[in-house]
Amino acid sequence: MKLLGLLIVVLGWLIAIGGVVAVSSTTARFVICLIGIVVSLVGILKVLNGEYLKQAIWKQ
Amino acid sequence: MKIEKAPGTFLRALFVGSILIALSVQASGQESAATSAPTTSAPSMSAPLNVKDANPPAAADLSKGDPGGTLTGTVNDVPVSDSKKGLTLADAVNQVGQNKVAINFVWTLVTGFLVMFMQAGFALVETGLCRAKNANHTMMMNFMVYGFGLFAYWVCGFAFQMGGVGATANLGGTAPLSGELVRHWFGKDWGLIGTHGFFLTQAGTYDVGVMVLFLFQMVFMDTAATIVTGAAAERWKFAAFAISSVFLAAFTYPLYANWAWGGGWLSQLGANFGLGHGYCDFAGSGVVHAVGGITALAVSMIIGPRIGKYNRNGSSNAIPGHDIVIVLTGCFILAFGWFGFNPGSTLGASGNGALRIGSIAVNTMLAGCTGSFGALFYMWMRYGKPDASMTGNGLLAGLVAITAPSGFVNTVGAAIIGLVAGILVCLSVEYFDRRARIDDPVGAISVHGTNGLWGVISVGLFADGKSNYGGAWNGVNGNVTGLFYGDPGQLVAQLVGVATLVGFVFSLSYVINILVDYFVGQRVAPESELAGLDVPEMGALGYPEFVLKVYGEGVPA
Repeated sequence: MKLLGLLIVVLGWLIAIGGVVAVSSTTARFVICLIGIVVSLVGILKVLNGEYLKQAIWKQ
Repeated sequence: MKIEKAPGTFLRALFVGSILIALSVQASGQESAATSAPTTSAPSMSAPLNVKDANPPAAADLSKGDPGGTLTGTVNDVPVSDSKKGLTLADAVNQVGQNKVAINFVWTLVTGFLVMFMQAGFALVETGLCRAKNANHTMMMNFMVYGFGLFAYWVCGFAFQMGGVGATANLGGTAPLSGELVRHWFGKDWGLIGTHGFFLTQAGTYDVGVMVLFLFQMVFMDTAATIVTGAAAERWKFAAFAISSVFLAAFTYPLYANWAWGGGWLSQLGANFGLGHGYCDFAGSGVVHAVGGITALAVSMIIGPRIGKYNRNGSSNAIPGHDIVIVLTGCFILAFGWFGFNPGSTLGASGNGALRIGSIAVNTMLAGCTGSFGALFYMWMRYGKPDASMTGNGLLAGLVAITAPSGFVNTVGAAIIGLVAGILVCLSVEYFDRRARIDDPVGAISVHGTNGLWGVISVGLFADGKSNYGGAWNGVNGNVTGLFYGDPGQLVAQLVGVATLVGFVFSLSYVINILVDYFVGQRVAPESELAGLDVPEMGALGYPEFVLKVYGEGVPA
């Protein structure tokens, strides 16, 4: 799951760059960038951090 | 030089006059080309100037001293290349050029020294916000991150970051920094990493301008590195800290800084994809603070919370720091150092729009002010008291947020950016503390990470289109302009930077620190953590008498 979280984080970055490369409309680039950022944040704060919280020291 | 006596009060005016002659040569030359009918011939650059009226003070006058300052700094102080010929126009023009570069060298070095002193501020803030039993350990991390970071940056970090930056006009060229690894993808050039400047000797980088640039960039990198020590304080193994800091200084920071400042692909988003002026980060909200804050997030996540921070039901306990006095003193030192951080990022006080240093300094102090207001009032309204440590963090958050836009916004924009940052840092601390349950003893993730990202975004919103540092920031003509002043493309460029920080920098930092965890171990043993890290990790207590008093051992009444 940690690896999955990391892959999601990287995927978000690639989405943002892909939007800049593949699309010429500023509005579309803006939206795609935001999507990419949200994907990365979900990867960090939900998936990756969620995995760490499952094994948190205060739960043991 | 043959110079006759004359009243010394005319000396400066005459010398300035000779410089004006020099400057007029260029103008008259251009005019001649345009009209093809010059009325007067320009003086030869190598011809001796008629300086007989410059009249420097007599030796007898100088021997009496110069309390009024009217006799010092005359034509006699302009070096001549040929003593037989005397002062020539070329000599005067060269002196003008050297004076410009000298001013910029001194400016950049002195502001770099101010940034270096910020390490002391960080040390005080972080140590004060930790418990007394970890004072020695926290202080030593802040102390040694300077050395570890500097060494790694000298070996390779600077080369990776600035090795291909090209000419830096304010510093006289820095021509040897001309090696950038570029790949041609999707029909565009993507600058990936610098290749000149290893050990500050390779590829001709033993150069006066390069040295100045190195010093200034090094202290910036060290600021990023020291941010992590706060978030991981009170449980980070010293050896792991050392290795992690070296990797940050050698790879993580230089890579992103190359993309943003070293001529890399982020800076070229404007030239290549029409996104404003490309990614604009004047002094490093993203490059310095967000890189440090996001690395702090990765390390904090890996290392886990301190023992006692969370209860079994997941609720959070406050673990107060041991000395609010040094925390706020440290905040003041940081605010002082920020006058090096932001105004110094012009890399000069002469030429290429560098006179905006006053505007940048005022923006910096305003955003810090409103940042402290934002946090103060938020805490006061929410918890009934104006919390000191969060007010300090509000000041820092405002300063972090204004770092990227300081060179591109007006004072109203700066005040708004700082105010938002002051509130944002409180919300972010609450989120990481209570929702994400990521333990950050000093609030470094929120101050530097969250507000570093906010600072990057704010350039794309508040840049007022008045700033023109040489006319072509990141190779795009015109002024940097944000969404509120008419250029939505700039905001998109900033968001690409944010996506890179969150997506790439976090991933790289995470992988590096997972490897450190695997090979060295990031976290100290529980018994060491409970005892405090001073003795188990460092071999000595930060406050031995204080501990003796607490336990009543051997202290006379």
